[in-house]
Amino acid sequence: MVKFLKSNKAVIILHDFFVMRKAMIIRAFDGDTRERPYGHCLVADNAKYPKKFIHKDFAKKKAKKSRVKPFLKLVNYNHIMPTHYTLNVDLKDIVTLDVLQTRDKKVAASKEVKAHFEERFKTGKNKWFFTKLRF
Amino acid sequence: MAPVKKSKKNAENINSRLALVMKSGKFTLGYKTVLRTLRGSKAKLIIIANNCPPLRKSEIEYYAMLAKVGVHHFSGNNVDLGTACGKYFRVCCLSIIDPGDSDIIKSIPGEQ
Repeated sequence: MVKFLKSNKAVIILHDFFVMRKAMIIRAFDGDTRERPYGHCLVADNAKYPKKFIHKDFAKKKAKKSRVKPFLKLVNYNHIMPTHYTLNVDLKDIVTLDVLQTRDKKVAASKEVKAHFEERFKTGKNKWFFTKLRF
Repeated sequence: MAPVKKSKKNAENINSRLALVMKSGKFTLGYKTVLRTLRGSKAKLIIIANNCPPLRKSEIEYYAMLAKVGVHHFSGNNVDLGTACGKYFRVCCLSIIDPGDSDIIKSIPGEQ
C-alpha cells in the first residue's frame, strides 16, 4: 500500500521509440489532467548510454565514451515498469511541465539534465541506471 | 492426513472470505486493473490463480513487493478463482481494494 511511483524512482520504458531504456521519474501525476486522462509521469533518461570503457583507453576516448544523451518525455504509467532502484538527482527545478512546450526550452533543459547525469555517471554511483538493459 | 485436511480447510476459508468480499467490499478482477490498483496504491491484497503465466505472476509479485502489498497464491486455476468470485468467467488475478466485512486481509497473509 505504499505509493512507489514517486520522483527519483528508476523505471524502464516499455513502449514507443524508447523501449527498454531506463528512465527516472521526475514528476508523477497520479490523477488525470485534462489532456491526459491517465496516470503519467515525466521522465528523463539516457538516449545513448555511455559505452563501457577500459582504463587503457586514452583520456579523450574515455570522455567520448562516457557521454550521456538524455530525453524528456511524458509517459503513461501503463508503459512503464517500475524498479526498486532510485536515482538521487534533483531534476525537479530544471525540468518542469512548461519545458516540454517549446523545442528550445526542451533542448536547454536536456543540456542541464545531461550535465547532471554525466556528473553522476563519473562518480560511479547508480551504475545500474547507466548500463544498457541487455535482452 | 493432517496436512491435506489443513489445505482443504484453507481453501474453503479463502473461498468463503472471498464471497464475503464480493458481497460487501470493493475489488477488481483482471490483470490490467490489478496493476492499476497496485500503481495507485489502492490494493490491499492480491490473489493470483495458480495457472497464471509465470511471467505475469512474477510481474504482479514485483509490483506488490514495491507497493508492500500481500500476494496470495490461490490454490486453484483461473476457472476456480472465477467461480470463487461468483462469476461465470475465468479470473486469473484479482485485487481487493476494500475488504468490507471480511477479515481476508488479516488472516490470509498469516496463513501464507
